[in-house]
Amino acid sequence: MILRTPPPRKRRSVSSEQREESALDMPLVIYEDPVSEPSHEPSHEPSDQMMCTYQCRQMVKSEFLDALDTAEKQVAEYRINLEALNEQLRTSESGRKEFKDQLCVSQQELAAAKGREQALEEQLMKEVHDSQERYKTLLSRFSELEVKLSKETDARKHAETLVSSSEEKMALLEQQMRQLSESSERERKQLNRELSDLKSDSELSISRINVSLQQMECSANNAKKEAELLNKQREELAEQLKERSHQLAKMEQELLSLTAPSDDVAASETQILVKHLQEELRNYETEVREARKLKSYHMNNELLKEKLLEEKRRRERAEEELLKLEEVQMNAKKLEDELLSWKSLLKEIPEVACREDIPKMLGTLQKEVIDNLMKVGEVNAHLKELEVALESSNFTKQLLETENAIMKEKLDNLASEVKRLELMLSSVTEERDQLRKEAMASKIQKGGEVEKGTTNVDLVKMQELESSLAKKESIIRELDDNLREQREIVNSQQHEMQLLHEKLNMEARKMKSLEREGDRLRAEISLLESKLGHGDYSSANTKVLRMVNTFAVDSEAKHMIETLQNQLQKAQAKIRAIEDLKGQTDAGNSIDSHLSETNAQLKAQVATLEKREERYRAVFLDKIQVFRKACCSIFGYEIVMSEYQRSNGIPGTRFTLRSIFAQNDNERLEFDYDSGVTTILVNEYTSQPEISQQVDIFIHKMKSIPAFTANLIIEAFNRHTLC
Amino acid sequence: MASKTIAKDIITLRGSAAIVSEFFGYAANSILYNRAVYPEESFAKVKKYGLPMLLTQDEGVKTFITNLTAQLSEWLEAGKLQRIVLVIMSKATSEVLERWNFNIETDKEVVEKGVSREKSDKEIMREIQAIMRQIASSITYLPCLDEPCVFDVLAYTDTDVAVPLAWIESDAKLIKNPQMVKLHSFDTKIHKVDTLVSYKNDDWDEEE
Repeated sequence: MILRTPPPRKRRSVSSEQREESALDMPLVIYEDPVSEPSHEPSHEPSDQMMCTYQCRQMVKSEFLDALDTAEKQVAEYRINLEALNEQLRTSESGRKEFKDQLCVSQQELAAAKGREQALEEQLMKEVHDSQERYKTLLSRFSELEVKLSKETDARKHAETLVSSSEEKMALLEQQMRQLSESSERERKQLNRELSDLKSDSELSISRINVSLQQMECSANNAKKEAELLNKQREELAEQLKERSHQLAKMEQELLSLTAPSDDVAASETQILVKHLQEELRNYETEVREARKLKSYHMNNELLKEKLLEEKRRRERAEEELLKLEEVQMNAKKLEDELLSWKSLLKEIPEVACREDIPKMLGTLQKEVIDNLMKVGEVNAHLKELEVALESSNFTKQLLETENAIMKEKLDNLASEVKRLELMLSSVTEERDQLRKEAMASKIQKGGEVEKGTTNVDLVKMQELESSLAKKESIIRELDDNLREQREIVNSQQHEMQLLHEKLNMEARKMKSLEREGDRLRAEISLLESKLGHGDYSSANTKVLRMVNTFAVDSEAKHMIETLQNQLQKAQAKIRAIEDLKGQTDAGNSIDSHLSETNAQLKAQVATLEKREERYRAVFLDKIQVFRKACCSIFGYEIVMSEYQRSNGIPGTRFTLRSIFAQNDNERLEFDYDSGVTTILVNEYTSQPEISQQVDIFIHKMKSIPAFTANLIIEAFNRHTLC
Repeated sequence: MASKTIAKDIITLRGSAAIVSEFFGYAANSILYNRAVYPEESFAKVKKYGLPMLLTQDEGVKTFITNLTAQLSEWLEAGKLQRIVLVIMSKATSEVLERWNFNIETDKEVVEKGVSREKSDKEIMREIQAIMRQIASSITYLPCLDEPCVFDVLAYTDTDVAVPLAWIESDAKLIKNPQMVKLHSFDTKIHKVDTLVSYKNDDWDEEE
């Protein structure tokens, strides 16, 4: 048995703290019977495993008791520590709770921020999408509009080119038309000349024909005469023949009556004679026939000559006509060519069927050009509007981006806070775990060394704590569930908020538009107010009246009278003084000089006053003349104002108007003016039926003198200009 | 006491017309004094609207303003007056230099039905006081009247108003391209009076 003295207490007590400290760091081992343990080296220090190496318990007992005491003390300390730790745990729990709350709050905030961020992102994305879509649509519209614009510009250019070409063509055609008209005029002139030539030729030919006709008539007469002569000759010859035949008959009768031989001779002779005579007769007859034939031939010849002449004329006419025909054909060809060119031109111009359509077409083209210009203007305006909208969308986008950046920053801050909280939480949990470990270690120590009755309390406490922790965790889960629900609610509320925000935006836009409208209306109102404030008024419902301000003149006159009266009084006083001092010759001279001075002053005053009056008169006359002339030139009436005494003795004002178109002095209108009321007076001119009718209509019925005078002026002007 | 205060707060058409016409009398006097249309010594100091007011002692001007306010009161009671304008003109050239507009809006219901309105005298006086202060301070910005001036009063009335003997129809005596300064307004709940001064644009300053 190896004895080992227990280590000195002091030392133990001194080292107990160290041991405690070391024990805290060392792993705890359950004490068991160290039979199997090999022999250890003696050491003053306790073993590393805190095991008793002595077999003798009695020896150990004291130490054990000491150790128990110390352990009890330690237990007490541990208890205190445990309590402190429990307190710490509580505090840490409370801190944890707080941190949990903070975590919850931060999670809520995070969730809210996330939700907001998501909402904002969604909104932003939506807006970005919308803006992109809008931008795209705008771009597409813009491109479409550009295409349209280019098309329209092309169309416009085309139309302009068409217009210019058509104008050129028009100009060319007009030139051609002019040329044609000139050529036609020339042709007409030529034809007229030719016609005149032909007329002269025909006259000449007619005269020739007449002459030839006369010649022919003469020849015919001659032929007739010849025929008559020939007929006479024939008749004479027939008579001769009859006489001869009669003579022959007589001769034959004589012969018959005479002797036979002689008869035979005579008969043969007579027969020969008869035969000769018959032959002569036959010859005559043939001659007559020939003469008749000649006559008929002659007649035929004349007819043929006439026919020939006629034919010649016809031929000449035909030749002329042929020449004309050739020219006409040439003209016709030219015209056909022009017509073809026109037709081709018309074909080239769309929607033009005939020449009359060209001006219409030009008009429509001009209208189209104007319309296109209008459209271009509208498109430009639209473009500007779109640009403005784009700018506004860009602005909103920028705003949203800045908002997003701010939100991101907030989110980062929140995340960092969450991280910080998480770190804190982890440190707290670590601390808690450590504490738990410590508690466990102390418990084990107690379990190993102290009776279980004492540790059961701690265990129960620990179990309670654990159960409470489990409860807390379950509560935390519940809270998490609640948190989720709350998040969902918050999300839904955020969605609602988003919707409300959109509505708000819409309302804000509306507000802005209304504000713009309000600004515009305010500007209008201010303009109108300024006009009103300036003093403008509507004569339809407002009348401007002025109080007759006579006191200014009166006061001036009064002042003048007063000064004059004062001067008069002074002068009178001086005269009295002079009279009083008549005898006193000494003072006389001085008073005389004084009087002469005052007299001179008064004269000077009178002179200045007279001058002023004259000047006023001259100015007034000038002004009134200018006014009258202006009235005369503007309204067409010479206005003369005169005053007269009425029957009741009150003076009245009369205005006599004479038109500048008046034909005589009697043509004048007279008006009586009395305190703002003007009445027309009847005179010779106004009593004329035409004028009196107008007076009835305009003045009595319509109650308008200006209308009456204006009507009279217009009538007089018309008369004057017509004349 | 309560009944007294209630009775004081009620304002009738006649009372309102009297307040407005009296205001115009004092305003005209103040303008004539401040714009030096009449010499300073011809004015005497009285206390009105809680302010020292200056009233002319010139008999002619006095009678003119008295007659004017009497006529204005009549028109105001009839609800026929739309505007009163005090015109300051050059004596030599008759050129209009300043126009003091007092635009009047009348509650037609009061005129037609004869009902009364409610507004305390104190409040009305306070409003009038503000206008009077502005009139007095107007000399700071209005151009100097270097030449002798005369004044005239124009009344913008309804067309159906019969022209009194001392009145004649007139033109509006407008200023071409005027400068305008709007002053305070006062409201009796029956007549609302807006004040505005328009004056000839001082070209001399612009040219510089």
